[in-house]
Formats: sequence, structure tokens, C-alpha cells
Amino acid sequence: MPERSANGVCLAIEGLTKRFGGFYALNELSMQVATGHIHALIGPNGAGKTTFFNLVTGVLPADKGRIVFEGEVVDDARPSKRTLRGIARTFQNIRLFPHLTVLETVMIGAHCRAFPSVVGALGKAVLQPPFGEAGEERTMREHALELLSFLGLASQQDAKASDLPYGEQRKLEMARALATQPRLLLLDEPAAGMNPHETLELDETIKKIRDRGITVVLVEHDMRLVMEISDRITVLNFGTRIADGVPNEIQSNPAVIEAYLGEDVKL
Amino acid sequence: MFEGLLDGYTRSLLIFAGINVIAAYSFYAPFKTGQVSLGQAGFMAVGAYTAAILTQKFGMPFAVALVAGGAVAGVVGVAVGFPALRIKGIYLLLLTLGFAEIVSVIVLSWDYVGGAQGFRKIPFNRYTLDYVIVIILVLLMLFARLERSSLGRAMDSIHQDETAAEAMGIDVVRIKLLAFGLGAVIAGLAGALYAHHATYMDSTTFNVMMGIEILMFVVVGGGSTFLGPLVGAAVLNMIPEILRALRDWLELVPVAWTNFFPMNRVYDFLHDFLDFENAKRLIAYGIILIIMMIVRPDGLVTRDSLRRLAPARWKAKHA
Amino acid sequence: MIFQQLINGLMLGASYALIAIGYTLIFGVLRLLYFAHGEVFMVGAFVGLYLVVLGHANIYVALIGAMLACGLLGIIAVYVSVRPVPKDRPLAPLISTIGLTIILQNLAVYIFGGQQMAFPETIRQELYQLGPVTISSVQIFILVTAVTLMLALWLFIERSKTGRAIRATAENHETAALLGVDVNRVVLITFVIGSGIAGVAGVLDGIKNSGVSPFMGVGATAKGLIVMLLGGLGNVPGAMVAGLMLGMIEILSAAYIGTTERDFFSFLILILILLYKPTGLFGTRTIEER
Repeated sequence: MPERSANGVCLAIEGLTKRFGGFYALNELSMQVATGHIHALIGPNGAGKTTFFNLVTGVLPADKGRIVFEGEVVDDARPSKRTLRGIARTFQNIRLFPHLTVLETVMIGAHCRAFPSVVGALGKAVLQPPFGEAGEERTMREHALELLSFLGLASQQDAKASDLPYGEQRKLEMARALATQPRLLLLDEPAAGMNPHETLELDETIKKIRDRGITVVLVEHDMRLVMEISDRITVLNFGTRIADGVPNEIQSNPAVIEAYLGEDVKL
Repeated sequence: MFEGLLDGYTRSLLIFAGINVIAAYSFYAPFKTGQVSLGQAGFMAVGAYTAAILTQKFGMPFAVALVAGGAVAGVVGVAVGFPALRIKGIYLLLLTLGFAEIVSVIVLSWDYVGGAQGFRKIPFNRYTLDYVIVIILVLLMLFARLERSSLGRAMDSIHQDETAAEAMGIDVVRIKLLAFGLGAVIAGLAGALYAHHATYMDSTTFNVMMGIEILMFVVVGGGSTFLGPLVGAAVLNMIPEILRALRDWLELVPVAWTNFFPMNRVYDFLHDFLDFENAKRLIAYGIILIIMMIVRPDGLVTRDSLRRLAPARWKAKHA
Repeated sequence: MIFQQLINGLMLGASYALIAIGYTLIFGVLRLLYFAHGEVFMVGAFVGLYLVVLGHANIYVALIGAMLACGLLGIIAVYVSVRPVPKDRPLAPLISTIGLTIILQNLAVYIFGGQQMAFPETIRQELYQLGPVTISSVQIFILVTAVTLMLALWLFIERSKTGRAIRATAENHETAALLGVDVNRVVLITFVIGSGIAGVAGVLDGIKNSGVSPFMGVGATAKGLIVMLLGGLGNVPGAMVAGLMLGMIEILSAAYIGTTERDFFSFLILILILLYKPTGLFGTRTIEER
């Protein structure tokens, strides 16, 4: 995968601010994510982590500040445009397509790369051969199957997405996001609701994703996972950055410990 | 085509049924992306009036008028489709309803197209049935292909979770507009065909009830596959005929069986009820609708039922 | 002259308001567009007509009779076309209420024929002069009845325990259930109240127009929906005010611009509200969208 980064910085956030009425969800947040890193974003509940994702992916507009992805300022109004740039995400409360099969779900992710133009997609739909498979369809399907194997879901390809157990639904969300061929993947609480065995598997999976050349930013509450896989951690509280460093530094940072006091978390 | 085979009445029946099928697909197109429009009758009116103006006032051939009707309806469709992008659910229902009503009011007050008297003496098109059949075949092919294609999948994904689809890079805005515009074009064609067969229309022709019926064809037939609209429109159109056939069969019951009380009462009631007279037929129609929604709310044709009917071909596709 | 139009506007508006109340109440607790509500209005008018004509009843009995009959119709509607239909497919309940609409309308045509029927005089016609305004006893009766009904309903919704239960259910079914509200019963009560009021509105309309027709429900449906949206979905006081407003706007535009255009303005308002203020003039009060 070709790397277009400015000095090894995949994502640069400069003074990002988001207000809801009088409440600052993000307040002049600045941080950098290095290319090829697994970068974690942690902080107490309400610290602004999901808002951060929503701003980077374009779901919400920022009030102030800049988002720079691979050296280019990102200000597309529509999330789909940002995905085309190479930024993909999963959702905290899984948002799968209830009536599609596992395979079809992943192929949705692949659609934007195979058919960047709607008119082109319509043309291809109308002109496809009456029996058998069109070229793009086969390519997309093989690509999707590869991703399903990568995540261990290949045997479930024809199952309905909503019939899968919780842990596998999370994996499916990741497969779908990966199908958009991102260079930056935002994972929103990927370990939520997982048992220790599944979390271990997730650990491996995230590392494998990174090994494919994708920068990963994850929001997480599971500190063991965070400390184990992160190359770098940024800590948020009240919408601002209170610490930024490697796991060891964060673990012994007094400001971080204080922010978590009262929360049932072992750092 | 079929000149010698069909009498005028049957021909007309088939034409109206066919136009209803086309109208059903005009609802199906935006519905595939999750947009529920009660205003397709309004687009039919746009197509109908555009075409009728061209044939009656400007002497153009029907084929040209038909294409123009569809095109103008499509343009209006995209125009309405823009504001429709950001509203959902009941709000979209009301917006499309309002649009259809406004078209009705415009037609009513525009004397050029007849105003309150209606648009009369639209040139009759002898080949309407042929056009209807061809268009239906084209639509079937189009939607069958769409269903198997990536674009069709993308539309389904928008229907099922628009936010997630957008996040996966699907160009939701353009696809929704495309679907909405396509629906309007199809409706425009249906309207133009109607006008040149009925040769008369006014502001009450393409009314709210028609918009609702179009919605019903698809919901009853099944909105998740390309055969749903066809089946729904065909079945709902055939119900009055079925009821009439039932009454004819009823009359075959030997007189001796129903000469006495209470059978004579039962017979009279059934016979009366199955009478082709409008109001009673419609009451049966309403009852059937309610029963259908209780028993089979997903419609007559669903993805699963298609899967069961054609397992071999489906499995081959996914081999 | 303008005062005369204002009175007419108020009367039309009161009619719209009473119908819209039912729509918005039901939408508020069920998120369902109860299409058949306009036909309930029509049924009320016919019940009132027959009580007066066949039962030689006075107007008060006719009103109460219509209210009770329509309340009963509301109960039937719930058991036949609302409860049995699964709610997770959003269009199915809509279609079943459309089925109910078709049944009611054609039942009326079947029983009464498709023509308009005259509503006999039940109130002694007298004219009163209030300054520049001439108002008839009939008009006063209609307005007073409508306003009283609306006031009573407003007090009920805002102050009574059941009214609170209704509002809680409109906001969130689960929370309401957790607070001990029997959601099913609330839905039923909502239907009964809404339908009963529509029944009264039907009789009042019959008096106003001196006639009833099996098709009077169709127009009521369209206008009721616009008013519901204008006042804010689920917002009962909003529907009341919006109804009066729309009635005024329609009459005034008919008087000063032209009769066919009057509907045009109503639908234009509908579109503008949808595009720029879908929460209505006074805000929605209904189950939040996920």
C-alpha cells in the first residue's frame, strides 16, 4: 500500500474544538498519530473520544481547528468522501446491515473502491452478463472472502449478519471497514462486551491489521489491551489532552491517575 | 399486437393493470434506498400532462411525447429529491404527499390544460398495450439486474442503515437522488401511457388515493425483491376479478341447496357481497389488506421465498 | 367584512384542530400515522345525523352519541388493525389503517349511498350583533362546543394522571413502562379519546355545512396531517393552535386571493414546514428517533 504521509505523520489534529451549546466536547485538542502506529485514545467517560471520531470521519462538523490526514487538510462535509480518502471506522454500538449476509456486508465496503462513480455503477449493473459473474463482482467477492478469512469469518459467509454472535459481529464490522482499503482505521471500543479470550484474539487481529500497513487509532476502556498493543497513548479529559506518550509513561502519569480516580480502572 | 386475440374490454383491463405495474416500480425504485414516497401519483401527473400537451397541442407523435413525459417527470423528481435527501420517515411521506397535492392544485387552476373541466380529447394511442408490455419487460430486466449488482446492494445498505452505508464510502446522496429520479421517470411514463389510453384526465385523476395504492402494490407484493411490485400490482388488480369469478361460481350452486332458510340468507348475503358493485368490492379489498398485514407483513414475495423457489441458481451464483 | 371572515376562519380552524388532535395524540404514543382517523370523523357525522333524524334526538344527545360511537370505533380499530400487526415493519401498520379507511368509507357508501345527505336544523337560528360582527347562534354553538372540548382535553393532558401517562408514553415507551404505565392501555385510551373528539367534530361539521357525505373524511385527513405537522408531532396544544391558524389562513386566502388557491397555500405551508422547521411551530412531543 503506497504511503503518502508528511514526515511519517498519518493524522495531525490541530486545535480541534466542538461545542454543543455551552458544553465543550472537544476543546483545542492537538495531537499527532504516526504512520504505522497503533495509537490509543483513552479517558474517562464523556471525555470526548466518540466526538473525536465523529469529527475525524465527518459525521459532525468542527467548530474550530484542523484535521490533517497524510499532509492534506480534511474538510469534506460528507463522511463518504472521507472514507474515499482512506479513513475508515467501526461503530461503538455495532451498526451492521440487518438483512445482508456476512459476505454481502463486506462487499458493501468494497463498493466505493470498485465503483467510485454512481453512473458507472448503474452502467455496470445494467450491462452485466445475464448469467455468471461480472469481472468486478468476482474481484470484489474474492477480496471480501480474503478479508473474511483474515478475520476468521470465512465459514460464516452466507449467514445473516444479525444472526452472528456478538464477538463475530464486531469482527464483521472490522472486515467491512477494511474492505474500503483504508490507510487509517478508527476502532470505536472494539473490545466492548468481549471476554478475555476474545480480547486476546482482538489483540492479535489489530496487530495483524497494523502489519498490513494500516495505521490504527482506537478508543478503548480495556486498559490491559490498550497497554499491551499501543505504540502511543493520548489521554483525554474534558475535551483536552492531559497526557500523551508511550504506555509506560502514561501508566505512571499523575494527571492521568487523578483523572481516573473514582473510575473502577486498574492502569 | 394481439389485435385479433383480445376484445376491447380485456385489452383495456390489461392496459390499466400494466400501468399499475409500471407505477408500482416507480415506487419501488426510491423505496429500495429506503425512501417511501406517497407522491408518485404527482410524477405520473407531470408525465401525463407533459405528454398530452405535446400530442394534443403540438401534434407530436406519441413516442416523442412519452419520452418527454418521462424526462420532465425525472427532472421534477430530482428537484423534489434534493430536499427529500435529509428528511425521513413520516416527514418524507408528508413531503411527497404535499408535492402530489400541489401538482393537483396546479392542474386544477391552470386553464391551458382544462382547469376544472379537465384535459379532454387526448389523442388515443392504439398501441398502448404494446408500449406497456415492452416497458414492463424492460423494467423487470432492469430491476432484476440491479438486484444482483453491487449498486443494488449499495441501495439495500442505504435502506437498512444509511449512516453506516455513508461511513463505508457509499455515495448516499447521489444514489438516493438517482433512485428518486428514476422512480419519477418511471411514474412519468406510466402517467403518459394512462393519459393516451383514457383520453381524459383532470385534477382528481392522479390523486392521493392513487399514490396510496401504488404504495400498497409494493408493500403487499413485497418490497425486498424485484418481483414484489409485479406480484403486488397483479394480485391487487385481480382481486375484483377474482371476487367476480367467485360470485359466478356461487351462482352455479344448485338452487335446491339454497332454497331454504338459513342457506338462502347466506347465499343472498354472499352473492350481494361479491357483487362487482364498487363499494362492496372495496370493503373486501380493505379487509384483505388488514388480513395481509397481520399474516404476511413482509409482502407476498420475500428474499427467503425467492431463495426457496430457485435454490439451484442461487447456489450456483454463490459457489 | 374581515371580521366575518375571521369568524369563518375560526370555525374552519376549530374543525381542523379537533381532527388534528386525534392524529397527533395517536402519532405521539405510537409513531403511527392513523390514516383512518378522517373516516372516524365522517362516521361521527353520520351517527349524529341518524340520531337526529331517526331518533329525533336533540343536538346534545347527537353529540354525545357520536362521541361514544366513535370512541367504540377507536377500540375496535385498536384490536383489529393496530394490535395484531407487527410494529417493527414500519409500513405494515400504515397499510392496515389504510385498509380500515377503505372499509369505513365504503361501508358508508354502501349503507348511505354516495351522495351528500342533509343535516336538519337542530339549533334555532338567531343572529346576534357584536359591534361590526354578525354572528349566528349556530356559529356560537359550534365555537363554544369546540373550545370547551379543547380546553377540557388540554386540562386532561396537562394535569390529570392519565394525561401524564399519555405524555410519558409519547416520550418513551420503555421509560413509561418502567414508571408503571400500562402502555397498551394508554394506547387504547388515546385512540378512544382521539376518536371520540373526531366524532364530535364530525357532528359539528355536519351542522356547519348542513350536510354530511361519505367522502368528508378524505379532506379531513389531508388537512389533519398538515395541522399535525404544523403544530408539532405529538403536541396536542400545538395542534389546537395550529388548527385555528390554518383555518384562518385558508379562509383569508380564499377571500382575498381565490378559492382554488386556498388549498395551494395549505400544502405550500406543509412543504415549507417540512423543509425548514419539521419539528413544527411549537415543537414535537414524541418518541425520539434512534
